[in-house]
Amino acid sequence: MSRLVVKIDRSEMRTDQYEIDLKTGRTVLEAVEAIYHHHDPSLAYRYSCRTGLCTTCMMLINGKPGLSCMKMAEPGENGVLHLAPLPKGRTIKDLIKEV
Amino acid sequence: MDEIITDILVIGSGAAGLAASVYAAESSQQILVIDKGAIGRSGSTVGAVQIASLGSWSHREDSLDAYQQDIRESGRGLSSPVLTDVLVQDISARLEDLLQWGLKLDKNEHNDILVAATSGHTIPRSISSKKGKTGLAILQVLTKRAKNSSNIKRWSDVITLELVKANGRVAGAVVLDLKENKSYLIRCKTVILATGGIGQLYSTTSNPAQSTGDGFALSLTAGAALVDMEQIQFYPVSLIHPPSLSGLCLSFYHLAKLYNRNGERFMDKYEPETMENTTRDKLAIAIASEVEEGLGTPGGGVWVDATGNIEEVKRQFHHEYQLCLDRGLDLASHLAEAGPAAHFIMGGIWIDGDAASTTPGLYAAGESAGGLHGGNRLGNNALSECIVFGARAGKAAARESARMKSITDGVPLQTKKADKIINVISNSEQGTERSYACKKAVQTLMGKYVGVVRSTKELLQAKAEIKAIEEKLDQVKITSSPDFYSKEILDYIEAVHMVTTAQAIVEAALTRKESRGAHHNKNFPEQLTEVKHTIVKVENGKMTVQEEGEV
Repeated sequence: MSRLVVKIDRSEMRTDQYEIDLKTGRTVLEAVEAIYHHHDPSLAYRYSCRTGLCTTCMMLINGKPGLSCMKMAEPGENGVLHLAPLPKGRTIKDLIKEV
Repeated sequence: MDEIITDILVIGSGAAGLAASVYAAESSQQILVIDKGAIGRSGSTVGAVQIASLGSWSHREDSLDAYQQDIRESGRGLSSPVLTDVLVQDISARLEDLLQWGLKLDKNEHNDILVAATSGHTIPRSISSKKGKTGLAILQVLTKRAKNSSNIKRWSDVITLELVKANGRVAGAVVLDLKENKSYLIRCKTVILATGGIGQLYSTTSNPAQSTGDGFALSLTAGAALVDMEQIQFYPVSLIHPPSLSGLCLSFYHLAKLYNRNGERFMDKYEPETMENTTRDKLAIAIASEVEEGLGTPGGGVWVDATGNIEEVKRQFHHEYQLCLDRGLDLASHLAEAGPAAHFIMGGIWIDGDAASTTPGLYAAGESAGGLHGGNRLGNNALSECIVFGARAGKAAARESARMKSITDGVPLQTKKADKIINVISNSEQGTERSYACKKAVQTLMGKYVGVVRSTKELLQAKAEIKAIEEKLDQVKITSSPDFYSKEILDYIEAVHMVTTAQAIVEAALTRKESRGAHHNKNFPEQLTEVKHTIVKVENGKMTVQEEGEV
C-alpha cells in the first residue's frame, strides 16, 4: 500500500511529520485520528458531528481552511498533506482553536 | 481547588442546555453553561433534520390529543403520561418563542410553511429550518439569545467529573478545564444536566463524538434514579459504506425500498401494511433479524433503493443526498448499504413534569432525561423534547434557586469519584492502557452483546467485560504534557463515564424479561401484559435495579 506523509504544525512552534497508509476515501479527520491512535498520543484536535455541520474540525488543509471531516486526506502540491491550526484567534493546542 | 460561584449550573449546550439557560435567564439568577466541547456546536442537536410541532401550520385534524396519542402508541406502554402531556401542551408556545427570536421556517413553492409526514406520526407535523438543518438553526437562535443575556456565562472545553452534594441536595460540581488541565469546584443552588445521549457507547452510531453518556453516570453517582435505560433506539437505516460516513442516518427510508442479499423486499414479511414506512424499533429489529439469518449484505446490512423517489429525497433531505454524492455514492443511480446504528436513548434520568430528577437540586432535559418516548421515539420528537423540557428545567431551576437564601458557601463538599479521576491522571505516567482503546473496547462489546437483538447470555458476557475494562482504566497511561489540552485525558474521563452508563444499560436490560419497544431479548420474545419500568440507582456505592409500575 502506498504511503501518505502528513506534516502537522503544532504548538510551541513545532512541526511533526508522520507517515500513514494512503487509503482511498479517507478523510483528513480519519487521518488525524489514525495519527493520534497509532503514532502520537499527544496530538490534540477537535471534532464533533463528522458530517460537515458543526464546523468545529476546521483547520488549514494544504494551506486552505477546510473541514477535516469533509476533505479527503490527499497530498498537496509538494507531495505531503500539510495541516495547521486556523491562523485567526488563540490556539489552545496543536489543531484546536479557542471558541 | 479553585472555586467558582453561580446560581444555576447548566451542563451541556445543545438545544436542551441552551434552552434551559435562556429561559432560566428570564429570572435574575446567574447562569453558568459549560460544555466539554465547543459551546453550541457539540451535541446531537447539530444534526437534527426536522422538528415535530403543533402551530399555525398544523393540519385541520391535528390536536393535542392526536399528537399525544401518537407518542403514547409509539411508546409501547412506557411513555409517561405526565411528560407526554407537558410536551404537547407546551410545544407550540416554545416554537412561537423561537420564531420571535429569529427562527425562519422552510416554505414550499406556494410560500406556505413546509409540513412533512414522518413514520409513526398519523398526521404530518414535521417542520424545518435552513433546508433541513433545523437543529443547527435552533442552536444559532438560542446561542445568540444566550450571548445577549447578561446573566449567562458560557465556558467551553470543560468536562464534569462529579456532581457534589450538601445537605442531601446537589450543590455543585467538580469540573476539569481541558484547556489547561485545571480542576475547579463550582458551587451553585441548582444543576441542570443536558449532556445528551449514549451513541458513542457503540461502534456504529449516528451520534457526535461527545455522546458518551456522561450525564447518566454523573446523576447515578449523585443518587438520582434512571428509568428504562435498556430502551435504546437504533436508527434502522444508517450508512455502512463509505466508512467515513458510517452511521449517517438515511432519513428518507420511508421513501425508499429495502432489499436483502437475495433481492427480496423483506419488509413484506414483517410489516406488510406499512412496509418500510414503519416505526424505527420495528424496522431495526426486522433488519437485524435478516442479517442474523444470513440474509444481510457483505457489510452486514441491507440494500437501500431510493431511485424511485429521488426527486423527493433531494428536496427534503438535500444535505444527506449531497453528502453521499460528495463521497462517490449517487443515490439517484446506486443502492446504498445500510443497517442499524445507535441513535437515541429513550431511557434516562427520571424526571417529573418540571424536569426535576429524584435528587433535590438536580434537573435534566433533552436526551439525558428519560420516560417521554417510552419504548420508541418518533422521528423529529427529539428537538421538540429539548426545547420544551429545556425551558421547563430552566424556569423551574430558576424558581427554586430564587427561593433559596444562599449558595452552600463554605460548606465542605464531599467528592469521591473526582478525587479518584484526578489521582489516576496524576499517576498515569506508569500506566499501560491507552484511554482511547478503553473507549473502543466498550464500543465493541456493546455493539456485539447489547445491540438490536439481545440475549441473556450475551448481556451477562457484556457485564463481565465492562467490569474488566473498568479495572483497566485504573492503569491508564497519559503521555501528553500535563499543562496543555490532552485528548488522552478527555478520552479517559469519557471512558470512566461510559463504563458506568454501560453498566446501567446492561443491568436494566437484564432486568426486563420480555421484549418491548427497542428492547428485544430473543430468550423472552413476547411482550408481557403488565407494563413495568426498570429503575436503576446507585445506593451505598452499589448499582441496584427495581421494576416499578406506572411512574
